[in-house]
This record gives sequence, structure tokens and C-alpha cells, in this order.
Amino acid sequence: MNPKLTRRRFIKGVIASGAAATSTTIWYAANGADRPAGSVERLIRINVNGQVRSVDVAPQETLASTLRYKLGLTGTKLGCNRGECGACTVLVDSVPTYACSVLTHSMKNGLIETVEGLESPNGDLHPVQQAFVDELSPQCGYCTPGQIMAAVGLLRANPNPTREQARQGLAGNICRCGSYDSYLDGVMRAAQIG
Amino acid sequence: MAYMHIGKDFVPQDVPGKVTGRIKYSEDYARDGMVYARLLTSPIPHARVVNIDASAALAMEGVFGILTADDVYPDGEPDGTGLKILTNEPTLVGEPILALAAVDEKTAETALEAIIVTFERLPFVMDPVDSLAPGGPDAYTGGNTFVFREGFKSEKWTADQVAAFRAGSEPTAEPQQQFAYGELEAAFASSAYIYEGSFATAGYPHHSMEPRSAFAYWENGKLYLHGTSQSLTALAADMAGIVGVPIEDLVFINEATGGGFGQRARAGSIPSMAIPAKLSQKINRPVMMRVTREEEFTIGGARQGFQGWIKCGFKADGVMAAADMWILSDNGGKGGGGDAFSAADCISILYQAEAMRFRGTSIGSNTAHRGAQRGPGQNQIAPIIAPILDKAAAELGLDRLAIRMLNMPKNGDVGGPQRQPLTSAYMPEALNMGATMFNYPERITRSRQRKGSKVTGIGVGEGYHNAGRSGMDGIVRLMPDGRLAVHNGVGNLGTYSYASTSRAAAEVLQMPWERVDVISGRTDRHLPITSPQDGSNSIFTNTRTNWGAAQDLLVKMKEIAAMDLGGTPADYSVGDERIFKTADTTSGMTFAEIGQRGLQLGGKFTGEAEVPEDLNDFTKLSVSRLAGSALMGIFHDPRHNNNPPGFTATFIEIELDTETGKFDIIELVTIGECGTVVHPQGLKNQLVGGAVWGIGLSALEQHLYDPQNGLPASTGYWQSKVPTILDTPSKIQTGWVDLPDPENPVGARGIGEPSMGAVSAALTAAISDALDGHVFNAAPITADMILNHLAGITTDAVPLAQNNYRG
Amino acid sequence: MVATSHDVMPDIELYQPTDEANALALAGTLGRDGWLLGGGQDTFGWLKDRNKTPAAMIELTQIDAWKGIKEIADGIEIGAVTTLTEIANNPLVQSRYGLLAQAAGHVASPQIRNVGTLGGNLVQDARCWYYRRGLDCYRAGGNICYADSPQGLNREHAIFGASRCVAVSPSDTAPALVALEATMVVQSESGQRLIPAQDFFVGPARDIVNMTVLNAGEILTAIRIPNTWANAEFYFEKVADRNVWDFALVSVAAVMKVSGGVIEDARIACGAVECVPRRLEAVENALRGQQRSEQLANQAAAIASEGARPLNYNHFKVPLMENLVKRAVRGQA
Repeated sequence: MNPKLTRRRFIKGVIASGAAATSTTIWYAANGADRPAGSVERLIRINVNGQVRSVDVAPQETLASTLRYKLGLTGTKLGCNRGECGACTVLVDSVPTYACSVLTHSMKNGLIETVEGLESPNGDLHPVQQAFVDELSPQCGYCTPGQIMAAVGLLRANPNPTREQARQGLAGNICRCGSYDSYLDGVMRAAQIG
Repeated sequence: MAYMHIGKDFVPQDVPGKVTGRIKYSEDYARDGMVYARLLTSPIPHARVVNIDASAALAMEGVFGILTADDVYPDGEPDGTGLKILTNEPTLVGEPILALAAVDEKTAETALEAIIVTFERLPFVMDPVDSLAPGGPDAYTGGNTFVFREGFKSEKWTADQVAAFRAGSEPTAEPQQQFAYGELEAAFASSAYIYEGSFATAGYPHHSMEPRSAFAYWENGKLYLHGTSQSLTALAADMAGIVGVPIEDLVFINEATGGGFGQRARAGSIPSMAIPAKLSQKINRPVMMRVTREEEFTIGGARQGFQGWIKCGFKADGVMAAADMWILSDNGGKGGGGDAFSAADCISILYQAEAMRFRGTSIGSNTAHRGAQRGPGQNQIAPIIAPILDKAAAELGLDRLAIRMLNMPKNGDVGGPQRQPLTSAYMPEALNMGATMFNYPERITRSRQRKGSKVTGIGVGEGYHNAGRSGMDGIVRLMPDGRLAVHNGVGNLGTYSYASTSRAAAEVLQMPWERVDVISGRTDRHLPITSPQDGSNSIFTNTRTNWGAAQDLLVKMKEIAAMDLGGTPADYSVGDERIFKTADTTSGMTFAEIGQRGLQLGGKFTGEAEVPEDLNDFTKLSVSRLAGSALMGIFHDPRHNNNPPGFTATFIEIELDTETGKFDIIELVTIGECGTVVHPQGLKNQLVGGAVWGIGLSALEQHLYDPQNGLPASTGYWQSKVPTILDTPSKIQTGWVDLPDPENPVGARGIGEPSMGAVSAALTAAISDALDGHVFNAAPITADMILNHLAGITTDAVPLAQNNYRG
Repeated sequence: MVATSHDVMPDIELYQPTDEANALALAGTLGRDGWLLGGGQDTFGWLKDRNKTPAAMIELTQIDAWKGIKEIADGIEIGAVTTLTEIANNPLVQSRYGLLAQAAGHVASPQIRNVGTLGGNLVQDARCWYYRRGLDCYRAGGNICYADSPQGLNREHAIFGASRCVAVSPSDTAPALVALEATMVVQSESGQRLIPAQDFFVGPARDIVNMTVLNAGEILTAIRIPNTWANAEFYFEKVADRNVWDFALVSVAAVMKVSGGVIEDARIACGAVECVPRRLEAVENALRGQQRSEQLANQAAAIASEGARPLNYNHFKVPLMENLVKRAVRGQA
């Protein structure tokens, strides 16, 4: 253990690592200007899976980061953290979105939905979840939450897609196991269940 | 054969967790006081670390400590090309040098930037052939190749030998490895058609979707390691050694792994898991080591590329008389593999060459860490051999399906240099089933038909991998409530074999599936050793063990019944969760009653006595921890005979656009031949999944490294061209032969790898067909290569390029 | 030397102005230190990699005046902060300017289109992998080009207009807007500029570090498309390695007025062959007034590739560009 790391320095470290002490803020402070209009407040209320939560969110924090580390919703996965795989797909106002590639502050006025919020209160699986179970769509499961959210978004916008439309809807979700065929079977089955 | 469970679908118990997000991968865990570790990796392809000055970093707020190679290897880094946990002599860009733990990742990154590492730059090489040239750079400090039991060597060819190979001639250098069988010269002499040419296949990364993050903490002297692996017990057993902790003090937790594909099966492939373990020990905090996508690219494993030469001879009737292969394998910056040998072995099995010679050499390059990847060797050679077969068929006036049926493996055939018999082989059935489903006779007439700028291509492909091992252990328990607990050490990488192999135990006892609990996911649930979950082997290997363990349990159950109700064990039958007298079904005991009696009796019934001597030590430990808890069945599987194969036959129709170099897959039919089908949905997933991988190998994926500075150009998902849903057909037609294999109690064999090779073979053959039989002798064949070919542009062509474009 | 893979967002301030004046003031004050944020799909990678280090992000997505699609006197105006999905699905755009709907619908992947904006797609930075990796090339302010070298991995790079830098224009919508004769509306604290689409993009000969003519403090706020080419014949095609996510190897966007088989007028632009969308004026001149035919298509193709100077690995772009131009002239694949 680092002998220089006293409890006091540790606490200072925690606070310092979260604060946005940037050159801009310093510029404004040095010039006696008020905090510029439009800069963000850290403490925000966001609606996740129907629940409104108060969260301290850094300006640069991605939605995936907030969901996983601040809200403990680990269903949303980090496959690449660059918007190149889709494992982090969530819904914001029913729109499929890469949580790793949007800021929480940009999405704070939206209804955010993750895979954890899909079951009904009595534990029944969402039709897409049930269809994926029935078709054994997942293999390793890592891309599954993202596929599910993309599928839910697709079916909300288009409840009766053709297989090709479903394919286009899932286009932004990589499955390294190559379970695309099984995911499509799942989406078509879910569309029938309704 | 009418089974209760075998051949029927079911919902594996982890599937609800996967669709609800409840199942946890390593990165999903958290614990009080947890800190985050990130890696400092080499920016240089080959270097020696001269000095590390971490003083500024360690003084930063929120930094807890670092772990270096010196910490991990106090007696010096192990010799060889194996991936190190940490190293002071990186041989690839991205190799981990040290790890730093901090209060969060942002702090860790900032602190890592403050560490001053002084490097001595060493020569680097991106193409193995360049290393063989006289004066060419060597990837490692000791040489460019590591010979087992001899050490590093610097192997060089003459300038003429290198030039001749680059020009497409048979290499004349002495190979490191070789085998031969049959009369090669006589076989070529009897050939009516001989094909000869060089070829190159690209290596590319595994890119499992779950990066290999790992999480570790110590409690009461025990190490709790949340890791990612294809195997559970096989990996944990060796991981203990890598971390340096007694196996009794390791709890390895791995409920699900986000894809393995060969590079998470064995502890040696994934030494990075030792980092949080050792760092956690050093700083006395739980450590979450998050691995980024770029790091997963570099240390996460990749396929060996091939630069080779092949000569095939066919008799007038189309029989493959001889095959002669010389393969230079790209060993990368770390790791390696026996891919080239496996490629030759595969040809001998799939095409039953009457005579064969294989010569191979592995040379390093300062590129990715290499290791087994889905059909290592068998699948690289698949896209190479398929167009050659079609060319032979064309030259000899044969149909291309016919030439394959003439050469395919059948029951009674042998293969490989040892001429080992196949346990069974139903390739005729697979090819016929596929041809029928595909309507081959009709579609083949459309070969090379043009429709505007589009041209039809038809391809037939075959895939093979050895698909079964033995010698592993099984443990099952009959609980006092009558439920069956199947202790399964198989890893959960997405194949569901941890569950499907457990069905064999339920089958023996005719136990309804809802009364079965598969105990798996963490080693403190006391599991038996299994083989690593690679090589398409799990279904074969672990239905044997689970069946055997259940048989042992059944014997004990009948003994108990005979003890209490009279007669001998032979007088009893099993059914409806009872053991009852065959002659008088009313006289019997329920499973629950027997379970309770077994517990009372103890001794051999509860694993406290007469435990099989030949159990693996890991299993013995698990048995000792379960002893006395319930009636137990314990089994050590003796060795099987011969080679249980997995086969796939694929038929494909494409429409290639000659103006853009792109193609659409119009129809893809793929048939699995893997003995009895245990889990139909699981098999279907392996067939469609393998198809996607095959498309990647044949048309999309390749390593690209800049020869100027050794930097990888294709690290992330986008640059690596991992196939998306829009690059694969909307519907893949699947089927299976479902005929039993004699070396497995339910007749099962594996399938995960051949399902890829067959598609790669068929797709490359179809592309070749669409281009009037032009043989690229390469994989992948990308749009630019097709456009260059059609336009007659040869300026960009570098035929034997490795880790670079091929033009 | 960078020895760690950066993967998390560093500390950076965020401004979310809700009115135009506020946004323009912030842009004016911060200049290049204020990163203009639309959907962010060409932002967070740079920031996570720490290869670009602005002090603040100025998010524009809450400014309603810069969102939406509306008819104007002589055409339509699209707010620069409108998402690509909205544009691809918009009935007005689909029915009158289908070329743009198609182009927008081909960008990246659905999720990226759902938040990515037209403005962002137009001003996005080059995708040369050397540049993206953070190497100190000309575009990054250094004095070397790694791609234009005997061993450079330049398969995706330019065949026209090389001037020390050989990166290409990666945008799918840019060639479409050049073909449609769009005008870019650019605002700053000092007022508004109207710039023809073709003049909005800039190559390395004039400016080697920027892809557009936007000055510090300026914001692209709207794109106006005139009625000139409404309901004309359109042809858009993008050829890329994979069918989603990937940038074009070559793309073509063409608008044509055809009557009785005669091409009365045409505008054609190609993407990914030059650092800017390449307007094929010589081809247009050759087409004007001519009867559509396969022979005309071939002639157009040959003119299109005149002057191409391929690098070691991108010769294929010549036949590919020729073929796409042929298809544009034919009006079909």
C-alpha cells in the first residue's frame, strides 16, 4: 500500500478526480465573469426504466458509464466503447441509441430504457425476451441486451416488419458468435406474439 | 433411438439471465473498496524496457499502486513465445508492461501517462518471409522462432530461396516439422491433373465481444477471481499455477463468457487474469482490471496467417492421388500454434489423399498474439483447397460435387499421418442432404450466368475438425429430495454444452429435466475436471463423463434398493423417478428415499470411500469437499478409440457484381455431421455462427500492420471488418445427419469448427466460380482484389503478403 | 510516447445552450477550444483517445431553430442539427430529394443515424487511420504523411487532389448535397455566410488541417436545397467493404434531368476519391444534351477517371469510380 496515501489525501483524490477543473472554468474565474450561461449542473434527475433517479453526473460522462457505474445497471455492456458494436444499445424515447457514444447530459430529458426495465412488474418477460428464449437466439449472451433493445425499438416503430426490415433494424448490432439468423427468427417470432 | 432428452430442445438455465441482463460477466461485478486497474502497454513493436520511473504516478491522488513484470516474475520471465502476464521485453505493440490501480479509470489513465518508460528499440518485422531473408529482422531477441526443448533460433534462408518462394515456387529450405505417408512420387506420376501454386491466408483477431476484463480480491487467504474463459475447471486448474496460489485456495468464478473462439480455453492464452489477482494481493484491495477493445485486439489472440505452397494431383477419375504442402506459419509476436500441421491433417481426412507430404515452419512477426482460433489450420486451408478441387473437376470434366463425393471420408476411412481410423463418418449423407436441400442439380446450371453486371457463382465446401476427447471426470449427486445435481466443469461460452452434456446424466436416470440442477459457474461448487472447451470436443467428451457418472450413481442406487428390498441389483430397473423390481414394479423406492438412504449409509455411497484412483487431482479435491453431502456418482472416463470427427457440408449460391466487386449470398445451405444430435437449437446456432465466421475468413477479415512503424491499422471492430448482419444472408438453411457414433454413449460428436470451414470453402469456391474459375489462392478475397482482377490491374498485387494487403 | 490505450472520457466542460445567440457567443469565445457537438458520433472517440483535447464541448442539439425540415421560398431548409434518421425518413425529402434521403440512410449504422446530425456528417474529420491514431502527420499539425509513402497502407485514400495529405472525404451526404446544389448557412457572432456546398469543403492544397472552410467561432446551422433538382432523376450508390458502419471506398451521387432519353442537365459528385466531394464537371459537360446509352456511359466513365493518380494500394478505386459513374449515367445498377 502506498505509504503516502493517507485517508485525507484519498478523499481529496476522489473529489478531485470527479471535478471538472478545466481551463475554461479557470478562465472565467480569473476574468471575474459569472459561470457562462448554458454550462451544466452535475446533479440531475434522469428517468431510467420508469424510475426517476437523482444522479451526480460529470459533464463528460457517457450514458453507458452512468448506467453501469452509477446506477448498477450492468445489463448494458461495453463491447468496444466506440459505437462500433452495439452491445451498449439502449432506448431513449424509444429510439435505439449507443449508450457509450452519447453523454448522459444530452439524454437527461428523455425516457431511458435498458434491458433491466423490460420485464413486466410480475416478472413476465417482454415478448422480445421470451421470443429470444424460445428461439435460443443468444449464444454467449454478451450482445444480447443490445440486440433486445434494438429489436424492441424496431417493433415499436414497426410492429409487423418483414424479415428484411428486421434485418435492417438490427444492422447496428454485431454478434461475434454469428447468431444473426437466430436473432432474426426471434424478432419475427416476437412480432407475431405482439 | 427414442430418447427422453437427447435430441430434444430445452431452455438452458442461463438463458433467462442473458435476456434479462441479470447474468454477470467479470466486468459487471463490484465490491466495496474496489479499485480500477488499467494497463500500460508497449507502443513499440519490439523493445526492451530499460527503466520505469513511476514516481510521479504513484504520488498522484487516487493512485494505489502498480504491478510490474519484476513483481510477477521475480526469477525472470519464462523462456519461450508464450504470452507473458507482464513483460519487460515486448514483442508486439500493445503488450502489457505494467498495470496501475487507481480510484477510477480516468485517474488511472492520467497516472499511466505520467509514467516514464525508457525503451531500447529493437529490430521489428511484420512479414515472416522478410525475417527469413538474410539479414532480415528477427521478431524476438534470441531469434525468429522458438523450437520446443531447444529454445530460440534465428532461422534464415538464402536470398534465392526467399525470392523463389515469393515468386510462387516450392520452398527448398529445411522445414521444422514434417510428415508423410504413401508413395508421393508415384502418386503424382499417376495423376492426370496436377495443380501447383503458392497461397496466403490472413490472420485476424478473435475479437470476442466481451473484452477479457477480470476482477480479483483476496479473503481469508483465498483468491476469488472473476474471470472469463471458455473452460471452467480446465482453466482454473492451470490458472492457480500461473497466479502462484494452491488450487485449494482459488475460487474461480465464471458464470458466462462473452465468446472464446479458441483463445480463452487454456490459462496460457489468458495470463492477464493473473494481473488483478497479483495486484490485489499487493495493494490489499479488490481490483477490477478492465481491458479495452484495443487491448483485446492485441492480447486477445488471433489466427496464425499462412504463406504456403501446395501441389495436388488428381487421377483421371477425379480421385485425389497426392497432396504436398509447405506452410510457413506466422507465429506473431507471442503465442503460436500447430495450425499448419492441422491443415495438412485436415486435407488427408476430408479428401482422403492417397499420398501426402507436409512440411512446415513457424516464424515470428511483431504482430498480434497468436493462438488457436476456430478451426486453427483446418479452416485456413479450407478456402485454398476448394477452388483447387473445382479446377481439377473442370480439367477432368467432372461435376464439382461429384469430385467431392468421390474423395469424401466415409465409415471405415482413416486419416492423418498416423492413418488413424475415424470412429464414424457420414459425409456421403451430409453432402447428399445438402445437395437436395440446395437443389444442386438445378442451381449448378446457373453457374456463371450473367444478368447485367451480376454473375452467379456456385460453391460447395467441406469442413472438418477432430471432435472429441476423453479421460475426463464426472460427478453427479442424488439429493435427499430426489433431485439430480450434475456437477459440470464445462465452461459457458455460448455453446450451452455445459447444459446439453448434463442431459446425458438425466437420460441415464430417466430424470425429468425440471428435476435436474446443473451445478457449474464457479469452482467452489466443487466440479470435476474437464478438457478445455476448445477443438469442438465438449459434447463428445462430457456426455461420456456425465453418462458414466450417472451410471455409477445408478449402480449404487440399485445396490441400495437390493439392500433394502431384497434380490440383487440386476433385478432392478429405473423409471418415473423410482428404482423398482423389474418383475414387480410395485416394489421399489423413490429417488428421494434412495437419496436419503445413501446419505445414511455414507462410505462409498457418499464419496467418502472407494473413490476411483485415477481421478484427476482437481476432481479429487472437489469430491473430498462434497464427500458426505449426498449419494454420489463418480466417474473417470477411460480413453476412447480412434478419431471422432466433426464434419460440415455447405452449398452456396452468390451473385457477384462485377462492377463493384461486392456479392450477395442468394442461398446458403449448411449440413452438420456430428453424430447423434444432442441439442438441435444448440447445433443450429453452431452452424449459423460458423457460417458467419466463414464469411469473415473468406471475404472480410485480415490483420493490417504498417511496415514503416509496426503499428496495427485494424484494431477495433470497424477496422477489423467483423461481419455484420447485413454481410450475411437473411436466412441460412440448416440440417443435420443425426447418425450415431460408436465411441460415445449417446452417439454424439462436436461441430463448432467445421461449421466455419465448410462455409469458407464454399464461399471462396463460389467467388472463384463467378470469376470464371480464377483462383486467388488467398483469404480474404476483398472487393478491391476482385476489381483489380477484373480490370487487369496487377500493380498492387503482393501475392505472399502477410499482415498487409494482397492487392 | 503514448503507452496506454485511452478509453474513458477525460475531464471536459459541457455547455448546452438553448438559444442561438448563446451558442454563437460560446463558439466565439472558445473558438477552436470549444468543440461543436451535434450527435457526437465523431467526437467521443477523439476525446476518449485523448488525441484531441478541447477545453469544452458546446452541444447544439437543444437549439430548436437549427433543427427540422421546412419548405422555404425556393426549396427546403434542413437544420444542421437534424438527425440523419429524420432526414432519411422525411416524406418531403424522400419525395423531392430522394438522393439525400438515400445518402443519409447509408451513413454508418441505425443507432448512429438516430443521434448523428446532418451537420455533423458534413463537417466530420478525415478517417485516415494514421491520423486517427494520433500520429503527428500534416493534418495533425506535423510535417509528414505516413499514408503517401512507398509502404503506406493507403487502400482507402485519395486518387485525386493529393497535396502532401491523401485523406479522403468520408461523408455520404456531402456528395449528395454537392449534386443537389445545396447552400450551407454558416453563422457566427459577426453574422451569416452562405456558402455553396461545393465550396464548403476544402482540400489539403488550401488547408491541410481542416476539412471545411469553417473558421473558429463559426457554426454550420442549416443546409438549403433549391428547387432546381427537385424530383429529378437521382442515383446514389456507396460501395464499402461491409454493408453497415463502413465508410465508402467510392460513392457516387448524381442528379439528372432526362427527357425522352436525352440528358438535359446533370450534376455528379463522387465521395471518397479526394479530400473533398469530387464534382465531375467534365463528365457533366459530356453528358449534357446527349442520348443516354451504354456508349455514353463508358465515355463518361473514362472522363471521370482522367487525371487519377493512385497510390500503392488503391488502384482499384479507378475502375470502381468508373463503374459507379457508368451506373449513374445508366440510372441503375
